[in-house]
Amino acid sequence: MLADYVLLLFSTTPRRAKGVFNVLRGRRTVSTLFAGLTANCLELLDSWHGVDLETLMAVVATLEADQLLVSTTEGSWQLTLAGQKRQQQLQTTLYQPQAFQAFQTIDVRRFERVSQLALQVISEGAHAEKRYYPVTSDPGVQATVKQWLRSSRQPMTVLGKRLYETLNDFLTTLDSDLATIFVMGLTGYQLPGRTDQQLAEQFDRQPLEIWMIRKDLMCQWVLWIQQHQTEPLWPLLAPLIQATAISQSAWQTYQTFLQQPDVQVIARQRKLKLSTVREHLLETAILMPDFPFERLLSSAVVTQLTTIFQEQSDVASWQFQQAQDQLPELDFFWFRLFQIMRCRQEVSA
Amino acid sequence: MTDAELYHLLKVKYGFDEFRPGQLAVISQLLAGEDVLAVLPTGTGKSLIYQLVGTVMPGLVVVVSPLISLMQDQVARLNYQGEKQVAALTSQLDYGTKQRLLTNLSALKFLFVSPEMLNQETVQAALQQVPLALLVIDEAHCISTWGPDFRPDYRALGEMRQQLGAPRTLMLTATATEQVRQDILTQLRVPNAQQICYSVDRPNIYLGVQSLTDEAAKREALQRLVTTVSGPAIVYFTSKRQTDLIAEWLQSTTDLRVAAYHAGLSAEDRFKIQQQFMAGQLDVICATSAFGMGINKADIRVVIHYHLPTTLADYVQEIGRAGRDSQPALAVILYVPGDENLVRSLNDLTAATPNEIARDQQRFEHQLPPTTAVSEVLQFYWQRGVPVETVTDLFGQRQRTKERELNVLMNYVNTPTCRRAVMLAYFDEKAPSHTDTCCQLPGDALPLSALGLAVPIDVPAEPSVTWTQLLAQLFLPNF
Ligand SMILES: [Zn+2]
Repeated sequence: MLADYVLLLFSTTPRRAKGVFNVLRGRRTVSTLFAGLTANCLELLDSWHGVDLETLMAVVATLEADQLLVSTTEGSWQLTLAGQKRQQQLQTTLYQPQAFQAFQTIDVRRFERVSQLALQVISEGAHAEKRYYPVTSDPGVQATVKQWLRSSRQPMTVLGKRLYETLNDFLTTLDSDLATIFVMGLTGYQLPGRTDQQLAEQFDRQPLEIWMIRKDLMCQWVLWIQQHQTEPLWPLLAPLIQATAISQSAWQTYQTFLQQPDVQVIARQRKLKLSTVREHLLETAILMPDFPFERLLSSAVVTQLTTIFQEQSDVASWQFQQAQDQLPELDFFWFRLFQIMRCRQEVSA
Repeated sequence: MTDAELYHLLKVKYGFDEFRPGQLAVISQLLAGEDVLAVLPTGTGKSLIYQLVGTVMPGLVVVVSPLISLMQDQVARLNYQGEKQVAALTSQLDYGTKQRLLTNLSALKFLFVSPEMLNQETVQAALQQVPLALLVIDEAHCISTWGPDFRPDYRALGEMRQQLGAPRTLMLTATATEQVRQDILTQLRVPNAQQICYSVDRPNIYLGVQSLTDEAAKREALQRLVTTVSGPAIVYFTSKRQTDLIAEWLQSTTDLRVAAYHAGLSAEDRFKIQQQFMAGQLDVICATSAFGMGINKADIRVVIHYHLPTTLADYVQEIGRAGRDSQPALAVILYVPGDENLVRSLNDLTAATPNEIARDQQRFEHQLPPTTAVSEVLQFYWQRGVPVETVTDLFGQRQRTKERELNVLMNYVNTPTCRRAVMLAYFDEKAPSHTDTCCQLPGDALPLSALGLAVPIDVPAEPSVTWTQLLAQLFLPNF
């Protein structure tokens, strides 16, 4: 089952497996993000958090042994013909997450834990039940929910009714099987909730597929609440949302850059190493839809690099060595920035 | 505080009229300022002891506990009983939460902590800033190398207790031989502690052993037991894989509602299974014995061991989950000759030869990280400068202890005479005379009718409900 979901990550052109997996596992180094950009999977950033890299690489080995994947260059794999067929089949039979992009900018996992407790507390409270086992003993989560209850200043029965209405509104937008999976997984008064294994048996799917479904529904719910900010759970979600997937320090560097583009000056102003400033700018260039490349890359460099790589359409496979052979003074930073710009143009083309 | 006042508190706070055996005696000694080593059988409400003392005495109650899952369950249980100022300090907390917890210790009444965590300097420093009402060492037998459940990090508890200003201490265990008890007091440096020991015997639990020829016969016997004997039931296994496999097999070949329960589950699924079991929505739980289950379900009728327990002491603990309502219950070991080899190979996992020990010390000298579970354990000794010879002696002694424990267990399994007598003799206790409802002698059938356990589990038909109905059940009280 994991193998099926892993197979869906590959295509007919080579992809760096480790890079793609690290994007899904939420690693935010520039080289990982760049791999995500070239494999066009950045919107899955952090969606498979906590899944072990070795496990995933072992799955790739199995897929290769089964002749569904083939390795073209060291560390990269692509679909075989059989792999393509299998992938097409999976795309119609296997549940395909719709809203995993929420993981990029929202701490969905935290909201999952907080909302789980919040719903339980309200459900028990609405039934005037005081003795129950809380779903989590995490003191941070408990404190957050307590604070939320206090500031909402509404009787439990009223909150119960509002939660019923808001969930009902959200769930009617879903397919009824999905709505059932969502509700059956909840914990509350006299209803402990079903485990993934139990839901898998009931809906005749694999537990991992149920896991994907429930994660995806959580994302969909989070995005729905974001659109309905008068709903009672909005105050629990609001602090978990970031404006952008770009890290805070990279964002600050970018703001300084907007005032003046000289990286040396930025490094001095931000008291950072030059290499760090460059990493920050690359991160921003990868994650920001309308990064002003022209303010950094001189038209001379653009012309030179365009000439060097004009015969090579697969941007991801460009080698820095090739550029350096002709432009010995060129820093890797400019090469990578140019590469990112071309990737973006490809994607938007 | 007088007994009358304690009874009043028991009634008001917990709704009970009577203390369970041992509770009052231990509480009175603690309130009189004594350190206490309490050996109380499982299911006697050990947590009520420190809860009540914590209510009476000012300051924080620190409970040292060996398993994270157990700590989380205990926090949930105290929450359930209305104690709000409770937290578990575990390695699973993120940095910020841990820091906030440590700076706000005075706002807490109960803190659960692992021995490793307690050993951290920041934790020690924070605890030194707040008055302690009581230090509780749960599963205190883990401190003794004479016992089979020895945990090296428990070894440092004596020193840590001194650093905390030698607070009043309660050592809790369900099973401990005389030798282990002495070792607990020596290691924790509380030679004058009062010992309060109650019998480990649970007379309402019938002790059975079924010898079978092979694995297939064992499966069948298990299936027959869970479908003919009154439930609910727990079945214990050694491995996670077997737990999953047999749970699935029982679920598909019977009408029973079965779930697997082990450390491989997410915290969320573990919680749900526990709660379903408590609510009577599951009939059988298949569990790994190594994995603690903090639930307190009074009406468990049957505990079956599909694999042998590691030791007789573990066995007593594990079957202690049955019949906490004092009604008749059944404990059965399903035994196929050769099963003891599984226990032996598990014991070998934590063993090391003198050569391996010496080599691991070299590893430490070269500042390389521990690579195996055994070298993690050895690391503990090297960090404290314990010489190789001492460690080698210790490991040799542990191996012999484990082999001895296995012999004791096999003696229980194979005895042609009263099993209860064999069990109690190990804990230096005398058994009452054997009766038909005491234990299963070779050739005996299980006396299910006499025990009142002959009515099999009746699985109610599950009404089908829509998600809208479920949602209403969750949030609308008058639905
Ligand atoms: Zn007997």
